[in-house]
Amino acid sequence: MKKAILYLNQFFGQIGGEDKADFAPVIEEGLIGPAAELNKKLENAEVTHTIICGDNFMGSKQDEAVETILNFLEDKEFDIFFAGPAFQAGRYGNACGVICKAVKEKFGVPVVSSMHIENPGVEMFRKDVYIFQGGHSAAKMRKDVKTMATFGDKILSGEKLLPAEEEGYFPRGIRHQVWLESKKPASDRVVEMLVKKLNGEEFETELPIPKADRVPIASPVKDLSKATIAIVNTGGIVPVDNPDRIQSASATRWGKYDVSNMERLKGGEFKTIHAGFDPAAADANPNVIVPLDALRAYEKEGKIGKVHEYFYTTVGTGTTQAEAARMGKEIVEHLKEANVDGVIMVST
Amino acid sequence: MKLELGNFYVKDIVFGDETSFNNGILTINKEEALSVVKEDEHITEADLVIVNPGDKVRLVPVKEAIEPRCRVSGGAVFPGVTGKLIQAGNGRTHALKDCSVLVVGKHWGGFQDGLIDMSGEGAKYTYFSQLKNIVLVADTDEDFEKREQQKKNHALRWAGMRLSEYIGNCVKDLEPEEVETYELEPVIKRSEEVAKLPSVVLVMQPQSQMEESGYNDLAYGWDCNHMVPTFMHPNEVLDGAMISGSFMPCSSKWSTYDFQNFPTIKRLFKEHGKTLNFLGVIMSNLNVALEQKERSAQFVAQIAKSLGADGAIVAEEGYGNPDADFIACIVALEDAGVKTVGLTNECTGRDGASQPLVTLDEKANAIVSCGNVSELIKLPPMETVIGELQSLARDGLSGGWEDDEILGPSVKEDGTIIMENNAMFCGDQVVGWSTKTMKEF
Repeated sequence: MKKAILYLNQFFGQIGGEDKADFAPVIEEGLIGPAAELNKKLENAEVTHTIICGDNFMGSKQDEAVETILNFLEDKEFDIFFAGPAFQAGRYGNACGVICKAVKEKFGVPVVSSMHIENPGVEMFRKDVYIFQGGHSAAKMRKDVKTMATFGDKILSGEKLLPAEEEGYFPRGIRHQVWLESKKPASDRVVEMLVKKLNGEEFETELPIPKADRVPIASPVKDLSKATIAIVNTGGIVPVDNPDRIQSASATRWGKYDVSNMERLKGGEFKTIHAGFDPAAADANPNVIVPLDALRAYEKEGKIGKVHEYFYTTVGTGTTQAEAARMGKEIVEHLKEANVDGVIMVST
Repeated sequence: MKLELGNFYVKDIVFGDETSFNNGILTINKEEALSVVKEDEHITEADLVIVNPGDKVRLVPVKEAIEPRCRVSGGAVFPGVTGKLIQAGNGRTHALKDCSVLVVGKHWGGFQDGLIDMSGEGAKYTYFSQLKNIVLVADTDEDFEKREQQKKNHALRWAGMRLSEYIGNCVKDLEPEEVETYELEPVIKRSEEVAKLPSVVLVMQPQSQMEESGYNDLAYGWDCNHMVPTFMHPNEVLDGAMISGSFMPCSSKWSTYDFQNFPTIKRLFKEHGKTLNFLGVIMSNLNVALEQKERSAQFVAQIAKSLGADGAIVAEEGYGNPDADFIACIVALEDAGVKTVGLTNECTGRDGASQPLVTLDEKANAIVSCGNVSELIKLPPMETVIGELQSLARDGLSGGWEDDEILGPSVKEDGTIIMENNAMFCGDQVVGWSTKTMKEF
């Protein structure tokens, strides 16, 4: 018999309500709360442990919570990991997403959760976790647990998994080819779609285009000779020891580095950790990505007021739009605080 | 323009004394056929093999597929390519149906070549596994490109066309089992009934990315790289005016057989006079430079608008760089007020997580998708290989590789193969055969 482990928050883990939301993670052998229902519905696995963690604990001490739970799991045998259902509870949804993602990355097992469509955890983690569309509140507990169990059984038996729409989980942004059961050739599909479009009837594209999130162009800097200019880059230029441990791809971290006493960036002191291009040129001369040397020259000539004390770095390759937007917003706060007037944003 | 396609359904293909067609049996005089192949002195070795659906046969590197035909009303099947330049799409052409001439390299493959499995799990990845095929396996002395990843495959492709015409000629004087008639009145002289229906054009974007001649699709023998979009009668496409090139990763490629049978054109004919008024084809291209892409999109939109098109289908032969042409063309048409549907495949990566097309635009709100070029495919060994299996790994086929840290080489010692869909011969069938689509997981 295969083994499953379930993650719950303090409420469903029967520790207590909001007053217990700071509850530190524990792992219990056996079935607590919804674990019993999950165990009943699962045919191809038994639920061996229940993990419980307070929603606030996960929210405010995420690194500690994740590390503790991953340590719990280190010596456990399990083939699949479940979290929730989280219904519409936002913090719980976030917690389920965070822990599922971490467990998947560390142990490589399938991770399954369930949330209401309006739970912010859906948008945050749908790409990393099978999140099934669940009910609004705990009244749907049995139904949502059953859905998770059914899909879990399907994964464990090695059965062919159908597209997101058919299985009922939120699409993960992963597109694969499938053969249509109807065997309807593309020539029929394309002509029928055109006729519908021409007649103003509803049609369904086979390749939905995501809405472009356009940023308006900023107004020009009024007087460049008095402006403070900063350099931000997604080319991964960091001090050689990469003190902020920025990832070489799919970055979630960024760093700021003091250059107030430098005329230019020296190879050997700075390098690129970007995994998406040949690093030779940037390692030899990091100014090709962070053009500090050129800006210093402009500073001397009086073309610009001054170069901002720090430059900012992350890595663009494989980085999701959501993470990039978050990091951008965080960096902007620093720039605004330092009264930076203009930014040179270098992509690679 | 009125085209009559006379069809002869082939039930079986055998070798025999006289190349002939009788009661569904196509007999080929092998020696005579091979002498037609060897008319080009660059062909150094050649053989013919008959393979049928269900045979335990794997073909690689496949370079081209052609339907055997003859032009009853006189002239070459491929005007400007295999003979004098004449108008295609008018008169009578005879075709041997349910079969194709496949051209396979005896040894050497390249980026643009593909693989066909005639049975088993791999058969579903190509259209040609369901046809009876006359396979020309040959080698050439084109040493300049023997070890090049990009091959023009000139001698082999032209040999395939000569062979298909030689075979097709055996039904020249026979009465076909059925005649398909394709006819369109001049655009501005159509009956009121037809004219009041929404007017539609098909925009074709054949492959033309190479600057050097010899690789691109040809229109009446003219390199599609060297043209601006032009208006064509769909009959011309169905009747040999267009031939396939030798450049694109194979699953995205349109073979000459695909052009001759273009299902989306046939489907539009079927709908003509019922739900729409099929104006014709705007033949565009897929050149690499941005200005060329913009110029083509502008020409297409202008022609469509001038013709009074209400709607358009845009079909792209390729992915990656050509996606820019595809999207630019759709946007230009939509901006001109022409309601447009796209027809393409996608490149979402082996994990399916990559952006499906190189460029996207919200105006491209109606797309039919025919597959993922980078889908990973693993297939067991096959009893017989025609060509050379190692070419998949060795010669830089777009879906094969010599070695990979995790997956190892594409070709295993026991004949098992692991490859990307990219190398399936004309596998994504964007011309309209495709019963594949893309779904989100």
